[in-house]
Amino acid sequence: MVKKIPIGPFHPILEEPEFFELHVEGERVVKIDQTIGWSHRGIELLSEHKTWDQVPFLVERICGICSCSHPFAYVKAVEDLCQIEVPLRAQFIRVIAAELERLHSHLLWTGLAGHFLGYNTVFMWTWKFREPLLDVLEAVTGNRNHYAVMRPGGVRRDLPAEEIPNILKLLDRLEKENDLLTKAIVDDPVIHARTKGVGVFNKTMCRLYGALGPTARSAGYDIDARRDHPIDAYDKVSFKVILCEHGDVFDKAVVRQLENFESIKIIRQCLSLIADTKAGDICAEIREVPPGEGFGMYEAPRGEVFHYVRSNGGNMPIRHKVRAPSFNNILTNNVSVPGNTVADAGLITAAVDPCYSCTERVGVVDRRNGERRVLTEADIVRLSHERTDEIRRRLAAEAGRE
Amino acid sequence: MEREEVKRRIAERFGAKVKIAERSPKRVYVYAENEIWVDLARFLFEELDARFDTGAAVDDREGVEVMFFMPFDREHYYVTIKTFAAKPHPTLDSITPVIPGANWIEREMFEMYEVTFRNHPDLRPVLRSDTRPADFYPAKREMKDNHPLVRNRDDGDWRSDEVAGRPPKGKNP
Repeated sequence: MVKKIPIGPFHPILEEPEFFELHVEGERVVKIDQTIGWSHRGIELLSEHKTWDQVPFLVERICGICSCSHPFAYVKAVEDLCQIEVPLRAQFIRVIAAELERLHSHLLWTGLAGHFLGYNTVFMWTWKFREPLLDVLEAVTGNRNHYAVMRPGGVRRDLPAEEIPNILKLLDRLEKENDLLTKAIVDDPVIHARTKGVGVFNKTMCRLYGALGPTARSAGYDIDARRDHPIDAYDKVSFKVILCEHGDVFDKAVVRQLENFESIKIIRQCLSLIADTKAGDICAEIREVPPGEGFGMYEAPRGEVFHYVRSNGGNMPIRHKVRAPSFNNILTNNVSVPGNTVADAGLITAAVDPCYSCTERVGVVDRRNGERRVLTEADIVRLSHERTDEIRRRLAAEAGRE
Repeated sequence: MEREEVKRRIAERFGAKVKIAERSPKRVYVYAENEIWVDLARFLFEELDARFDTGAAVDDREGVEVMFFMPFDREHYYVTIKTFAAKPHPTLDSITPVIPGANWIEREMFEMYEVTFRNHPDLRPVLRSDTRPADFYPAKREMKDNHPLVRNRDDGDWRSDEVAGRPPKGKNP
């Protein structure tokens, strides 16, 4: 008997509400229907009524977590349209801010994944590690979130020289903490049992569905906009693109954890290179924006962000298209969720990091008699926790027998 | 595949039906006629091994300009394929049967700009509600001023009703 389970659509605190309708046979999901657009804010249209310089403030509010990536892609689109070069110092500041953002985003995801699995210690730890990072972001950009650092032609704020030792100190600490966290995840038999082979999305599918970021790289699909389409200072630093091969939830977690080390490496290189640049030289002047079109892309924590702008020579864009990575990645759930259990479905949809988290409600609907019961967010998390506990007990019993 | 090679192969295959322009070493634009639109996307995706990134539509007085961005990652450049779907009812062939990743972006273009994609497996609006007026395309710049408003959803349960197969409470527009 096939049942339908609707999940969602939204809770006001989520930036990305979604509606999932799971078609299940017993515990197993056979099909998933997804509906997005529950908080369509009309940002593209709003942007067409703002000046070129005002738009970054708007687009950084698309996502609270990626509030550096969207403006980054937008300013690259405008710079592509105007064909201008950004001062070297501004390039480094942009990369530093963007990589600090990646670190805090990945840590946030690890914490949430830990919570989903029933590891609230991981959740608490990552939050503790992430807090000083936000303090540094505040010192560098002026804000913990919504950094307002990007502007067409450069950045709005210079990096204060006295902040550099603080950032380096933070990076040293964070490297150790991330190492601890990575080992805790990679060595834990319960996490292995709970996430390995779950929500597999293979390389061929990644290409067909246009999967991006850690979702694609966890399946060995080798794309990274920082390396493939290097913008600003990314061609002046060296880093590795982290790849795994299985494309399951475990590999997605591993990719994100290892990317943190690469981000730390990139920031260190930028901090040493920025010393050779002239303080205060942070923005190229843009006299006018010519008619035409341009697009820019940046590898956000979740995958490639893409912005397209068109100008008629005026002071506002006449078209601004925004494509966030989750738009492509959420579509991959159509393939990765079927075949798994309901307890895993929440984990798999969360593994693409769509900002869909634990506040959704679930209704279980029996198709034949219309009987309906509604599960709350707590129920989904409880289902997931029960599964983890069961695995823990099984592993403990096996260890006892040996 | 190198840029010059890609340009040469596209020109060889499609001849006068495409126009190729290059704005910078990282941006190649291919303007195609409607009839070869899907073939061009397939050629780039399957034979030349481009990646599918995303699409965009731009509204114009005479029609809607539809474009897809197909990067060549190893060689660090983008090929943008473009075509023009004429008004009053812009219609194009869908590339979703070739590239499933284009599913949602085509649905978005349909609901925002009324670009009807033939052969699309599931051409429903993707972002806005199912109860929107049928001839209302928000990004198409020819709004009528007498559009009925979408009904107020005073009832939080309406979606579950639909899923359960019952008619939604309240009145449809």
